[in-house]
Amino acid sequence: MIRLDNVSWHRGKKDSAPVLAHVSFMVPQGGFRWLLGPSGAGKSSLLSLLHIENLPSDGQMTILGKTVAQEEKRSALVRLRQRIGMVHQDYQLMPDLSVADNVALPLRLQKRPEDEIQDEVHAILKWVGLGERVGVPAAQLSGGEQQRTAIARAIIHRPGLILADEPTNALEESQACRLLDMFAELSAMGTTVVVATHNESLIRRLERPFLFLERGRLVEDGGAQA
Amino acid sequence: MTRPFSGRKDGLSLSEALPDRSLFALVAMMGFLAALTVAGASGARALSARWSGGAAQLLTIQVPDADTALTAQNGPTTRVQAVLADLASLPAGSEVHQLTQPELSRLLEPWLGETDNTALPLPAIIRVKLPVDTSVPATLEQTLNTHVPGTIVEHNARWGERLRALANSLLACAGLALLTVGGIATMITGLATRTGLATRKDIIKTLHGLGASDSYIAGRFAWRTATLGFGGGLTGTLGACLPLLLLLQMAAPFASTPLTAPDRLLPTNWQALAATIPQDMLVALLLLPFAAAFICWFTTQIMVRLWLLRLP
Repeated sequence: MIRLDNVSWHRGKKDSAPVLAHVSFMVPQGGFRWLLGPSGAGKSSLLSLLHIENLPSDGQMTILGKTVAQEEKRSALVRLRQRIGMVHQDYQLMPDLSVADNVALPLRLQKRPEDEIQDEVHAILKWVGLGERVGVPAAQLSGGEQQRTAIARAIIHRPGLILADEPTNALEESQACRLLDMFAELSAMGTTVVVATHNESLIRRLERPFLFLERGRLVEDGGAQA
Repeated sequence: MTRPFSGRKDGLSLSEALPDRSLFALVAMMGFLAALTVAGASGARALSARWSGGAAQLLTIQVPDADTALTAQNGPTTRVQAVLADLASLPAGSEVHQLTQPELSRLLEPWLGETDNTALPLPAIIRVKLPVDTSVPATLEQTLNTHVPGTIVEHNARWGERLRALANSLLACAGLALLTVGGIATMITGLATRTGLATRKDIIKTLHGLGASDSYIAGRFAWRTATLGFGGGLTGTLGACLPLLLLLQMAAPFASTPLTAPDRLLPTNWQALAATIPQDMLVALLLLPFAAAFICWFTTQIMVRLWLLRLP
């Protein structure tokens, strides 16, 4: 479950103009939300807050049932972050590592047994269509392959919350549809999903409530209307 | 295509971010200096202990015309016997020994040659060793001279104190030198760590986002610098061993363990020389690589954890 109450975030000093201002919404466990808005509206900033890459300057934020505050212990934030899967717009893969090693990272950080990790990685890479590319260094992948690797890395540890920033940008239509089906499936299984996108055909294909941001303010909350 | 699971677990690639050459070589130099300093400190400490222990408790008393008769309260006696009687009042446990003729001859041999039958009027020499933690009575010299005029009391403690002060100041200098070497090693490690953090900034942020804890990231960096520090410290210490053995050979005549004075630069009996190395110095030298590793590990832990504070 995600809940934001009057959350604001400033990039630098508190007296600077807020990137996000007085944002309030709630997504229940297993809920799916499109995050929409023009470029510069604050979609990526909101996702980075939800991913706890930044902490709210004001207001209260609850992620997966845990209230996140400035004074929170770092170890608690680390544990919470391990329960979130994030697909960044720029993928953020380790260029020197193979596809398999990239995807294995979240499990290795959780100190899971290596044989278990390898089985899981092979299964998920087969599922995203990269079964033949497991040993290729990430730097040698095409844009679409990098995106699928990033998606596999975000979901391999079965997070309670998946955040995706333009996840279908570099994907072909068929792959994008497959990815959407997967997100819908994960949501049905109880994973909360928030996807930022500009792709209107996708939104039409999977009709779900949306959050609409404009100049850092939430101007429409489809979930609240529902 | 490479192996799917390469064993490079997290993409930090610290062997590239923190290259071997610079940190290893600089720590090796620091290790070399530290080993020499440790040896100097050990020598100064041994001298200080020796001078503040045995040597400071020694007195040498010369009695001229030792066999000349003297009238005392208890009847006729010689001058040396009168002095020995006075010395009986020294603190309990004091060892008083009058040098025998052969001992006296051996003592004067460097100056007078074979002196068994010298015609020179030699004084009687009395060696007094006081127990530890006792001091010579302030009035001893005066008392002896009242009873036996012309008696000379040579106070080793006076020289011992000066030499001990010298040894202590050498020890303090060695301590400061070690602190400086440690400080420089800390700075070098700090700079290397900062460079590593700068080159791996984006990867660290990604790992942090994936749920890597501060202790994981700091531990990865610290293990790398500690390994380089240990290697550098070991190399520096081993490099210092040859000059140290040469210095030990040169210092042999001053050692407490009798050794023959060197007649050539390189020692011939390495085993005998190695046996003279003080135990505490050996332990300190063995600990140096570990100390270097600890300095590198600790500095890196602090640096990385402070750097990570900028991330929530």
